Amino acid sequence: MGLTCPFALVAVPVGWAGSALAYSWSAGTTAAWPLRALAVFGETLLVAVWVAVAVWTVHPFTSRALAGAARRCAGRWLGLESAVVYREPKPVTRMATGFWWDGQEYHRSEREARRRARVHARFHDPQLHWDGVWVLAASVTVLPVAALPLLALVLGALLAADRPVSGAVLCAAGLAAAPFAWRVLGPVGRWLLGPVTSTRLGWRVAELEEIRADLTQTQAAELERIERGLHDGAQARLVALGMSMGAAEHLVDSNPEAAKRLLAEARANSAGALAELRALVRGINPPVLVERGLVDAVRALALDAVVEVDVVSRVPARPERPVEAALYFSVAELLTNAVKHAHADRVGVELSYAGRTLTASVSDDGIGGATAAPGSGLDGVRRRMAAFGGRLEIDSPTGGPTRVTVAVPCELS
Amino acid sequence: MRIVVAEDLFLLRDGMVRLVEAYGHQVVAAVDNGPAALEALLAHRPDVSIVDVRLPPAFSDEGLQAALTARRAVPGLPVLILSQHVEQLYARELLADGHGGIGYQLKDRVLDAGQFMDAVHRVADGGTALDPTVVAKLLGRPLRADPLAALTERERSVLALMAEGLSNAAIAGRLFLSEGSVSKYTTAIFAKLGLADDQDTNRRVRAVLAYLAVERGADPAP
Repeated sequence: MGLTCPFALVAVPVGWAGSALAYSWSAGTTAAWPLRALAVFGETLLVAVWVAVAVWTVHPFTSRALAGAARRCAGRWLGLESAVVYREPKPVTRMATGFWWDGQEYHRSEREARRRARVHARFHDPQLHWDGVWVLAASVTVLPVAALPLLALVLGALLAADRPVSGAVLCAAGLAAAPFAWRVLGPVGRWLLGPVTSTRLGWRVAELEEIRADLTQTQAAELERIERGLHDGAQARLVALGMSMGAAEHLVDSNPEAAKRLLAEARANSAGALAELRALVRGINPPVLVERGLVDAVRALALDAVVEVDVVSRVPARPERPVEAALYFSVAELLTNAVKHAHADRVGVELSYAGRTLTASVSDDGIGGATAAPGSGLDGVRRRMAAFGGRLEIDSPTGGPTRVTVAVPCELS
Repeated sequence: MRIVVAEDLFLLRDGMVRLVEAYGHQVVAAVDNGPAALEALLAHRPDVSIVDVRLPPAFSDEGLQAALTARRAVPGLPVLILSQHVEQLYARELLADGHGGIGYQLKDRVLDAGQFMDAVHRVADGGTALDPTVVAKLLGRPLRADPLAALTERERSVLALMAEGLSNAAIAGRLFLSEGSVSKYTTAIFAKLGLADDQDTNRRVRAVLAYLAVERGADPAP
């Protein structure tokens, strides 16, 4: 409670004294009621301004310490860890003219420049203002809730004189609630005690961190898949191949028939290894994509699909390779969805490039109701696109038709 | 026969040269990049050429482009395209000009020397030698209002083998039929696809073209 009351301690007396003073001006006047109402409204506004000024004056000197104390308490009581970074003073440099530059203005002495740099870093710190927001929010949320048990005790004690039963009940309620009421610190603190995210940059950093985590996960999974494919498939087959060859070599003089059989087996094995490698390569980087680029790769996909797929392209050249691959795999996923989940009979793919954005939209006449639920294929597509600053739009009413669009900003080569 | 080989991996190129020489043919040029392949095709006009799809300098589809360019200059120049993967898209482009003499096979087929040389001979004779994988993909295509919808199941399987480039005798062997009934099927297929009675090889190629529905999705790449 002590942590969250300073703003209230400042605001309430100022408000109270201010209103007492302000309303005394219009008290006793006998003007028409609209005029009186206007006067009261003006006075109320004036009081609000006074309160705001008082809080604004206290805020730079108290918010950081208060928020820091609240963080420590939240960490100790609730295990709510939040690391924040405050601005460091900028280093001061001596100019050729002999003046000192603190990053903002010139000063005659180094000491003055350092002091000003410290003040500037401290009072123009977005984190400080965010702390102020916490103190303000806490004084209207945490403070009243945490004060309830105390209020109940006081009221109970006052009531006990003439109504002992209800007084005792109130006291008991206050005592019972005391261990729980302060816990409101948790949910509010989780929102407001963290590092400042009010800036657009802060949000962007959080978003990018999420994308990076996603990418590293995906990449690790992909490498694992490739490794397993090579290890269990082609590698094992090549070992078997070597063994049959060795056995055939051994038998070629004594039993030419058996040797021939072994050699035929070896050849079948090598064909199998090739087929497995081919499938693996297709999953890593489809050959048509490498040889021809996105548009033809999508056309090849369409030809291999089990339903009729029409491809329309207005893309004049190849995009950057990573974007190309991401778009290709996204379109492949969307086509698979249209066939497998939407049970579509006709699918249309449109590729276009305008305003430095490459857009692919896949529409089908299936059952609709497609959503990007977490962990779904569409969610994977959304994340894949997000990594390139792209987006995914789904228009899929129940009963169809569905139209899913992916768009990525990129340059064409 | 006079043969041109275009393949960038030395081991494979060397192996292929040895293989065709072992079968008594002459390799007039063995090259390892796209521009040289085009040059060799136009300069030597070989009886058949064996070309890898992906060639230096850019490792895109330069072998395929060289073959297409050469065939535009010399219609019907027999080319057998080899690749680590087969794509319907490429098969259509190769067949789009309507002349025969086209093969498109997985590199693995070289493992079986006899079958591979059969394919080389078929292409040299102006027929087609499509990889069974491509043909299987085509079979898996949905049937729409195309002429193929009129074919019976048996006729479709005969046509599929025809697309692989097999002769009537070979198809008869593969499907356990008599050669007579196979030729009855082929006649029925030609009739249903509305193919006039000209030279049989050419007609077979055109039947395969109809099978591939080349007019669908064969618009030139940007």
